[in-house]
Amino acid sequence: MELFRSFNISASALTAEKLRVDTVASNLANMQTTRTAAGGPYKRKTVVFSERLDQVRQMPPRFRGQGVRVSAVVDDPNPPRQEYDQEHPDANEAGFVSYPNIELAKEMTDLITASRSYEANTTAINTAKSLYLKTLEIGRG
Amino acid sequence: MRINPYVVSLPAAVKEEKKESTSAVFGDLYRDALHKVNQQQIEAGIATKGLITGEVEDLHHVMIASEKARLSLQLTVQVTNKIIEAYKEITRMQI
Repeated sequence: MELFRSFNISASALTAEKLRVDTVASNLANMQTTRTAAGGPYKRKTVVFSERLDQVRQMPPRFRGQGVRVSAVVDDPNPPRQEYDQEHPDANEAGFVSYPNIELAKEMTDLITASRSYEANTTAINTAKSLYLKTLEIGRG
Repeated sequence: MRINPYVVSLPAAVKEEKKESTSAVFGDLYRDALHKVNQQQIEAGIATKGLITGEVEDLHHVMIASEKARLSLQLTVQVTNKIIEAYKEITRMQI
């Protein structure tokens, strides 16, 4: 319903931010992972967002924002971190182990940003809701 | 959502009222709006059921669906109140 467009926009953002939190969680869980299905250590994942548009008029074309969409989850291209550990079963001939290129501080910052964005979008929903409720009070009493 | 059966049976009542007080176009409009509101209620019910059974992955979809249902119901109540008020106003008119 057109009335709930602000809800739908914020809902798409909530979905996107939740995926970002999930990605950070996956990165944190795999900080020490040296084996993956693709071979080699786990690669840090990042999400790419894109704007979601809705065509409202054909000629001339006019678009309206419909929220956000996750267009891709991409691997971080940075090389893995090398650490000397001869005992490790995945160590190479020189005794180095390739660990995922994940930095804890970076992931925590990402996590905080994602959770704050989620909260902001929840606030947007609540504000829209209270505006509607206030509108219903017009003419009462 | 106990409300659904009542709303489904409502269009008949609206029809009767329509004959006396309002035009056919308005009655249809109102009935369509009621159906839309009922649809929101049904969607909220489905979402809640999905949450309970563990089918829904995103919690916020359930919350937003139920909020939409709540808001549209409140809007309907307001509109209905206005209609009844107008109807009463007309019946009180002295001839």
